[in-house]
Amino acid sequence: MASTSLAPVVPRSTSSGGPGRGRKTGTAYLFLAPFLILFCVFVLAPAIYGIWISLHIWNPLLPLKPFSGIDNYVDLFTPGSLTFGDFWESMTATGIFTVASVPFLLVIPLLIAVMLNQKIRGGTIFRGIFFAPYVLGVAVIGVIWQYLLDPQLGVVNHVLELFGLPSRIPWTVDVPWAWVSLVGVTVWWTMGFNTVILLAGLKGINAELYDAASVDGAGAMRKFFSVTLPGLRPVMAFVTTVTILASANMFGQSYLLTNGHPGTTTRSVIMYIADQGLAQNQMGAAAAMSYVLFAFLAVISIVNFRLQREKTE
Amino acid sequence: MKRRTGKRALAAALAIGVGAALVGCSGGGGSADKGVSLEGGEYSGPDVTISFWNGWTGGAAPVLVPKLIKQFNDEHKNITVKDVPMEWADISAKMPLAIKAGKGPDVSVAHGDDLATYAAQGLVLPVDDIVKTLGYKAEDFPSGLFDASVYNGSQYAIPWSVTPLGLYANTTVLKEAGLDPENLPTDKDSYLKALDKLKAAGVQGEWVDGYVFTGTFEFESLLWQFGGDLYNEDVSKATFNSDAGVQALTWMVDLVKKGYSPKNVAQDGNINALIGGKTAFNWNGVWQTTNAALDKIEWKAAVVPQIGTEKAVWSSSTHWIFLNNKGQDKNKTAAAATFVKWMNDNSSGWAATGELPAKNSVREDPALLKQYPNLEPFMKELEYAHYETVSPGINGANALITTAVNEAVLLKKSPKQALDDAAAQADKILQQNKKQYGG
Repeated sequence: MASTSLAPVVPRSTSSGGPGRGRKTGTAYLFLAPFLILFCVFVLAPAIYGIWISLHIWNPLLPLKPFSGIDNYVDLFTPGSLTFGDFWESMTATGIFTVASVPFLLVIPLLIAVMLNQKIRGGTIFRGIFFAPYVLGVAVIGVIWQYLLDPQLGVVNHVLELFGLPSRIPWTVDVPWAWVSLVGVTVWWTMGFNTVILLAGLKGINAELYDAASVDGAGAMRKFFSVTLPGLRPVMAFVTTVTILASANMFGQSYLLTNGHPGTTTRSVIMYIADQGLAQNQMGAAAAMSYVLFAFLAVISIVNFRLQREKTE
Repeated sequence: MKRRTGKRALAAALAIGVGAALVGCSGGGGSADKGVSLEGGEYSGPDVTISFWNGWTGGAAPVLVPKLIKQFNDEHKNITVKDVPMEWADISAKMPLAIKAGKGPDVSVAHGDDLATYAAQGLVLPVDDIVKTLGYKAEDFPSGLFDASVYNGSQYAIPWSVTPLGLYANTTVLKEAGLDPENLPTDKDSYLKALDKLKAAGVQGEWVDGYVFTGTFEFESLLWQFGGDLYNEDVSKATFNSDAGVQALTWMVDLVKKGYSPKNVAQDGNINALIGGKTAFNWNGVWQTTNAALDKIEWKAAVVPQIGTEKAVWSSSTHWIFLNNKGQDKNKTAAAATFVKWMNDNSSGWAATGELPAKNSVREDPALLKQYPNLEPFMKELEYAHYETVSPGINGANALITTAVNEAVLLKKSPKQALDDAAAQADKILQQNKKQYGG
């Protein structure tokens, strides 16, 4: 059996680690070093420097960058301050988008992956088709969909009209339609990525488990819930976390498709932070907002991993 | 910070003309000992290469600009201009840091609403002396434009081009509705009459949008027409929510409410609808005259109708700026001044890019209109055009005007409510700007 042939490999690799361990770890670190250096220079150091920035009124182009303590953070939690209303509105926008898009970005790719995992004719072609939009840049999909979704002149409303359906839907202009558009476009655009990862996960599930389930008289549904889903759990934990983080970092879609309108309803928090920091030169406030967002995402990620781990145990 | 202020004062003192008095204070080029020679606007110092950053990457510019620069370089033995075109967004992102590092351009072009911010940040040199040497006066440019580059009592830029809003009309649509395309509406009554006639013919005559391009420009034009202004005199308070502002925005919202415009117009929906023959009028910028899609239809441009109590129209402007690089070579700045003067004198071809040359003598040359007849109404408007607000960090407050226009046009808030909300937030930003930039 496949699993027994794998078994001896495991102890061999650990036992052989004994004598040459020091050198091997050294080699490992050597290979990790280039990434580690890049990580420190471009991620870790700026992240720490960002905390320092967030404690100042930091206009990068002014000679004077007065220390302001935790004022930038206090402002974010003080109703009526310059940033309070806009920041929490944009956090809400990101929250709505994340809650609305993540389920679709998990369920649809899962179903597609299960289908593609069947031995069907032209499976590779379909895999390519589902993955194709993912290679497009956000600027491209933004422009394409802005044309397609134009309320008066767009193709989508025109097609709806042909079928006698409501045809003046303000897809990119007004809520809730703007949310439907943003979520729909994002799902179309990025589901290929999740599909490919989940497909790889499915290939890793031992085929014999399905055989065993069949012998026990399990139907397709039972197999899906009792074999496929548990088998995918580690992969699913990864996909869920990555998808939540990606959705929470949404920027380009609302920047290009809705301009954050109506009013500032669909302005995502990243869009607002970028505007504050880069367009309005309020780096201190923007850095503080980033850390508040970071805190939220950290908590969500930890909860997510806890939940998945409990399930696995 | 004291050192910094001192440095800046020194940089200001070093500006051309005054520079001659500081003989021996060598610049980066190492050959500035003889002071700077810019007599009659012609640089006569040692050979220099100056770098010129610009955002002219689209339309006719990529062909036109290298041609102009080549001609300039051929005519000036001691100056070589290096053309560095890049996206406007890249310029705003890169230039400030490059200047701090002494690697920025010697001369560049900036939009009117960025000038004060650049000046307050010490990125640009005051040009009072250059202006004097080149002999420029406010009367050489459309009225009010020269002042649009004055910050804290100093001139910081020299005008290059202006781009006012105008009324575009699809004349085929007008004819089909029984309107005379030779007599485009000029005031409130004639405009409403035309819209009514179009409505009777089943055409929504003007599609009103809630985006910067061009709902905000239309709102600001109307605000000035009703006698209002965006901000108070010293730009410490937003005044776009005045009665004039409410009247202006109410006019736009009523176009939607009364069915002259569809609801929920998307970005660029109106110009696309005009090109597609679905609407008759669009308030849009002079830059649309170069829109190739318009070649396929019968169209005409006119001055924007006077809806309010006085004539007024929105316009943006671009200006020449001289950069305050760390260790800026005075000779290079002087050579750049010669370049700017030459460019302004030879700017008639600039009309091909859909912008109006700022220099009156060039723009008012009849030959220009002969070649670009569509520009006529836009030129007429310059008598009463309004330019950008001169105040550092103003773009943050300006963005709120668009938010208000958007909310009102989408019927989410009443015009007054939308403007009041935006003004309250804008006031906070203005307050922050005063605190950070002073002035």
